[in-house]
Amino acid sequence: MSGSRKYWNSLEQYNNTPEFVERAQNEFQTPATTEEFLADEKLSETATSRRDFLKFVGFSVAAATAAACETPVVKSIPFVVRPEEIVPGVANYYASTYADGSDYCSILVKTREGRPILINGNKLSSVTSGSVSPRVNASILSLYDSGRLQGPTIGGELKAWSDIDATATAALQRAKANGSKVRILTNSIISPSTKAVFNKLAETYGGEGGADVKHVSYDVYSFAGMIKANEKSFGKAVIPNYHFENAKTVVGFGADFLTTWLNHIQNQNQYTVRRNPDGAWMSKHYQFESTMTITGSNADVRGAILPSEQGLALIELYNLIAKKAGRAALSGKKFESDNNVHEKLKHAANDLWAAKGEALVVANSNDVDIQTLVNGINEMLGAYGSTIDLNTPVYLKQSNDVEFADLAKEMNAGSVDVLLVYGVNPVYSAPAKLKFEAGLKKVKTSIAFDDRLTETASLCTINATDNHFLESWNDYNPKGNEYSIAQPTISPLFDTRQAQESMLAWSGTTVSYYDFLKQNWEANMFPMQSQYSSFEAFWNSTVHDGVFSYNSTQEGAEIMTEGLMASLSGAAANAVKQSKSSNWEVEFYLSNGIGEGNHANNPWLQELPDPVSKVTWDNFIAMNPTDMVDGSGNEIYNIELAEKLPATVAKITIGGTTLEMPVVAVPGQKKGAVSIALGYGRTKAGKVVAQGDSTNGEERTIGTNMFPLVEYGNNFSFGMSGVTIEPTEKEFAIASTQTHHTMMGRKIVNETSLKTYKENDKQVWNPDHILQDSYGQPKHISKLDLWSAHDIALGHRWGMSIDLNACYGCGACVIACHAENNVPVVGKDEVRRTRTMSWLRIDRYFSSDMTKEKGAEEGLGAIDTYGKMEIPSAYPEVVYQPVMCQHCNHAPCETVCPVAATTHSNEGFNQMTYNRCIGTRYCANNCPYKVRRFNWFNYTGDAKFADVNPSQDDLGKMVLNPDVVVRSRGVMEKCSFCIQSTQAAKLKAKKAGRPLEESDIDCACANACSVGAIKFGDLNDPKMSVTKEAKHDRSYALLEEIGVKPNVYYLTKVRNVDEERVMEVHKKHASGGHGHGDDHGHGEEGGHEEHTNHEEHAH
Amino acid sequence: MNRTTRYSGWLHALVLTFFVTLSFSSIAQDGEKLFRANCASCHKLDKKVVGPALAGVQDRWESEEALIAWIQNSQQYLADHPEDSYAADLFAEYNNSIMPAMPISNEEVKAILGYIANPPAPPEPKDPVPGPEVASGKDYTMFWLLGFLVIFLVIIKVLMDVKTSVKRLLYDIKGEEVYRAAGEEVDFDLTGKEKLALWMNNNKVAVMLLMVVVLVGVLNVAWEGLIGVGVYDGYAPTQPIKFSHQIHAGDNGINCVYCHSSAEKGKHSGIPSVNVCMNCHKGINEGSRWGTEEISKIYEAAGFNPETGSYDKPGKPIKWVRIHNLPDHVYFNHSQHVVVGEIECQTCHGEVETFDYPMHQHAELTMGWCINCHRETEVKMGGNDYYDKIHAELVEKYKDQGLEKFTVSQIGGLECGKCHY
Repeated sequence: MSGSRKYWNSLEQYNNTPEFVERAQNEFQTPATTEEFLADEKLSETATSRRDFLKFVGFSVAAATAAACETPVVKSIPFVVRPEEIVPGVANYYASTYADGSDYCSILVKTREGRPILINGNKLSSVTSGSVSPRVNASILSLYDSGRLQGPTIGGELKAWSDIDATATAALQRAKANGSKVRILTNSIISPSTKAVFNKLAETYGGEGGADVKHVSYDVYSFAGMIKANEKSFGKAVIPNYHFENAKTVVGFGADFLTTWLNHIQNQNQYTVRRNPDGAWMSKHYQFESTMTITGSNADVRGAILPSEQGLALIELYNLIAKKAGRAALSGKKFESDNNVHEKLKHAANDLWAAKGEALVVANSNDVDIQTLVNGINEMLGAYGSTIDLNTPVYLKQSNDVEFADLAKEMNAGSVDVLLVYGVNPVYSAPAKLKFEAGLKKVKTSIAFDDRLTETASLCTINATDNHFLESWNDYNPKGNEYSIAQPTISPLFDTRQAQESMLAWSGTTVSYYDFLKQNWEANMFPMQSQYSSFEAFWNSTVHDGVFSYNSTQEGAEIMTEGLMASLSGAAANAVKQSKSSNWEVEFYLSNGIGEGNHANNPWLQELPDPVSKVTWDNFIAMNPTDMVDGSGNEIYNIELAEKLPATVAKITIGGTTLEMPVVAVPGQKKGAVSIALGYGRTKAGKVVAQGDSTNGEERTIGTNMFPLVEYGNNFSFGMSGVTIEPTEKEFAIASTQTHHTMMGRKIVNETSLKTYKENDKQVWNPDHILQDSYGQPKHISKLDLWSAHDIALGHRWGMSIDLNACYGCGACVIACHAENNVPVVGKDEVRRTRTMSWLRIDRYFSSDMTKEKGAEEGLGAIDTYGKMEIPSAYPEVVYQPVMCQHCNHAPCETVCPVAATTHSNEGFNQMTYNRCIGTRYCANNCPYKVRRFNWFNYTGDAKFADVNPSQDDLGKMVLNPDVVVRSRGVMEKCSFCIQSTQAAKLKAKKAGRPLEESDIDCACANACSVGAIKFGDLNDPKMSVTKEAKHDRSYALLEEIGVKPNVYYLTKVRNVDEERVMEVHKKHASGGHGHGDDHGHGEEGGHEEHTNHEEHAH
Repeated sequence: MNRTTRYSGWLHALVLTFFVTLSFSSIAQDGEKLFRANCASCHKLDKKVVGPALAGVQDRWESEEALIAWIQNSQQYLADHPEDSYAADLFAEYNNSIMPAMPISNEEVKAILGYIANPPAPPEPKDPVPGPEVASGKDYTMFWLLGFLVIFLVIIKVLMDVKTSVKRLLYDIKGEEVYRAAGEEVDFDLTGKEKLALWMNNNKVAVMLLMVVVLVGVLNVAWEGLIGVGVYDGYAPTQPIKFSHQIHAGDNGINCVYCHSSAEKGKHSGIPSVNVCMNCHKGINEGSRWGTEEISKIYEAAGFNPETGSYDKPGKPIKWVRIHNLPDHVYFNHSQHVVVGEIECQTCHGEVETFDYPMHQHAELTMGWCINCHRETEVKMGGNDYYDKIHAELVEKYKDQGLEKFTVSQIGGLECGKCHY
């Protein structure tokens, strides 16, 4: 009977002698140290021969092997009382909200065994509609950041909460007794209950004879100019709600409204609705900007202007429309353009006027006058009431820059007694001119609520360490009557306390913030609805859904435009005055990954390539490549960057401050102006930020902090002129994930114009790939086969479709993939060596001025032509293309694996079996898409990655998805089509005894991209949207000509431009009939194979 | 014709007798089963637990009807019969703790009462199994074999010596030449080593064969040894509580998923939390094997005080030693196998209801073992709409072979990506 068999290693173990028990418990016997051994002077006299030594070695190896065979004892510890909703191995989802002052998003948090492991969008939200941004879904990693403080501090020392409360209360009491100033400095607070907490604090310590308590909002990327302009124009100091889905023509001036500007997640959803060429109509998007923003790179028409020319361009646009509207023109000033901006403005004006009532103009400037001009244009176009809703205010940005500047003044005057800093980091982000840091030192008691000792918190008296948002309760009101709830998804990991809880405690109440929140909702939100009669039912449903909204009755308020009319000419005059042209100009922008720098210690975001430049782990001076050569065509700055081609460091002087930063070529950047991302150069964020090298000063930081250079007049200003830039001898390594920038005339991203798309047959703009068989007969590529085909009709066949019209390159899918599939972070040095591990990358291609036809016309040779085709235009068009494993039906990787570690499943997966892989890397070499990643290191253990790879510490490991293996060194890995999720989806359907439905499927990238650019599902199910898209006329396969038959389909990008547009490859097809010169041999081979197919297999 | 009728009459009688016997025994069995299922968590026959001891309950009540009504819904009974002071006192005596209404029929209550009136004699107490070190009887086969081998070798040696002595004697008598002429070995003064060398020299083929056999044997042992690395069938670690599956799943017939409830929901079968143990052990404080010793460990973990019947201490989880350890690179989902595949727990875990303490790993849990099952097991496609489409497609694909049922391997159950991701 097998059950009675016992195994023992020795008689001692068998008899369980006391000596054995003792030895077994003491795993590591005290050994003689090597030093002691070597120090023995008689060592040379010993008789140990070489043979003896080898015997010892052999014995030790054998002993070690034997010891390793022992059964590991694994403990299994169940709950004492298992919570009903927790089933081991089954994920729970909780609705919550992300809001950090720069992004707002209603989210769904996936937890496993009580640990949050993934953030998806909450589809019930009418604001964000299930979308996320990369910063939002990467924030899950910040929860497990080992840089977080483990408790509250006073003077940087960990203290008990009782000490904190005593110190803080004493300071506030002192202020109350003295009637001195108490200031609460925060980001834009959109939480009604948090505002109520501030009021409670003010009631307790302020009031008659008490302290002078005031709440100051401070947004680092401020919209004060827009709020002031709206106040002046319409008497409403609000940010309006935009409706991009109603706009047939959208004109953006610098506003990156798809990824960083204002309510960008909502904008993205609305905008996407009208970017579908098969919809009722497709919007036309013009963008005029200096920085190559993600929004600009997706525009149909993009004009490059200097930051100081924004006002002039707006006046010009105003005048063009005013002429049609019969209004008086404003006095402007002509400006020079090197890319037909005047012509483009004329077209924009025509299109805007044609779409009157359905047109929208937005600008990013924080200047009152420029925003007044924008208001003027929108008013002429009848945008108010259709594309702009002034009656539904957006609360995401509320700051008044002057108030913040006044606060800094007060602090420097030494008149602020107690300062509470919540949600902002002004020592890092305030313009140097305001001398915030110096002021902070004059504040008697300063209290920060950061989760770590940031630049600000480390200088504050107290840091009342806040919870992570996933450990907290809160409520939010992002706009109008839309509310959402944040609920904790895990107990606080450390001895931290939510800021609101701390303030309530100091206000002398014993009510917890949760109860306070509920009371607030019962008093204010509950009466606004009629669906639920009991508050508990209402509350439970709201917490479950995460969102709540009610219909407002204040519809259709009259728009008063007297103010606007009065201020327009003055605004125009001021805008003209702003334009100076001297030296260089600079514009500071928010990067897509790092944003305002709140997540600087998040390695996922640091390693997320900037969508346009593809640079990771740094900010840089973005300069047009044509500006990087001198008059005679010699490079002053290195244009081409690669592993061994570093960037040139330049000395840049902005407003009297000189910095040294690397220069990176970004085609599309306005010539004569440079752009630099904000949010970098954090010094006190954690161990990850100390990874960078620095070109400035001693401190090692990632990139350089640009916030101190932000100009402050009446508002923060992010564009400046009078900048000087000089090259230096120094070089700086830049880690970029893409060093090849053009498509070289190939059909990698198939693109056409709306006109061509609407008026022509598919064969014109997306022709079938036809080859000749051995009889010279034309045949579709899919009919020519080298191998016998897989049985793809049986059961499921997993596939993906990617709509290139809906992909803006934001990278939320990349982060989601990292989180779902435990993809390691490799750090800057490895990225530079092209060893990035992302399973999903977003390729970005610039258009080039050179084509093969043009080369032939100009009499250039083939090599010269190709050489020039590699160079992007100065102001190129941009396309983005997410590329992951294409799960080819004829996968080239599968045929070369010597150990069959990568195989094909009958459901269409190209499977990668890690524990079978021996690391020959043949598969990666044979992959035409270059999507296979090799584990060069043990990223979870190697000291080189200790600071960048989160799964090296116990805390960071908690974010790992327990359903996916953490790969070890020496194996290949790649996109699995989230096989763990498809298996789970199938199981769900099987258990329910029903066919699989689209809603069961949960692929990380497709889920993160709820604008619907990525669809995943069963290609054998005609009901699935992926099947419909794969069969769509716009659908094509990447590198279809090589015949690997991918299961990923791309939908042709359609740009809304008025010209006929057919790709070069197609033109050649049209002229050369069916023959495909280069591939002729291939075709014949294929045709030949078709006849000898079976014989070939017999070999 | 007549004969046939008579014959079938006999048969009828036989069948009837059989069924009557069966139904009688089933009633008796039902009584015990029903008692266990419905009453045992709060009542014992001979002892007051949560509720009163039930032995002699029929005698304490005036009428059986009243008793049945009381058992089925005590609150209803109290409401309907305010005059019944015995019932009211009983309710008060047990701190007004409500006995839940029992959804059982009159017949079933009667069966239970029948069991209470005539409980079967308690089974003979089993010999307590000593500590885990001596799990059961030792295997003496090897000992006996070795013993016989030694005796055998001694006999051979003795016989050989006798032969040599006889030979030497004959040699002395008959003279050397006779033997030399016959070509026999006569040199008695060779040492053992020299003799061996001589023998090996004379029997090269045999020596070669012997060496091959030894080599193959050694390699085989090494191969078997190495292949067994990490295979732990029979692994039976000592557990913090001497829990016997035999008592729970076998003797008491508790369903596996009563405790391992997540086996139907998720990938893990789950080890029950202490509150699940307490569902029964709140009432059952004495075990048949170790008395109160092991059960008191549950109380300790649950923070339960059996004296007062309340949870007055903080609980602390039990640190069980995990027996089935799949490597991290394998994904296994219990619910897939239990719910969809309708595989019995015993298929992989053995007849657990017969396994006493300590529980052991029954199967080897190697990949070959998994794969074999996937090759042989038919997928339960009938009655599950999920499989309708693929079943039709498979029938079409295998129509040459006329297959209607398909194994796991035929729907891709041998693919790497089914378990490794």
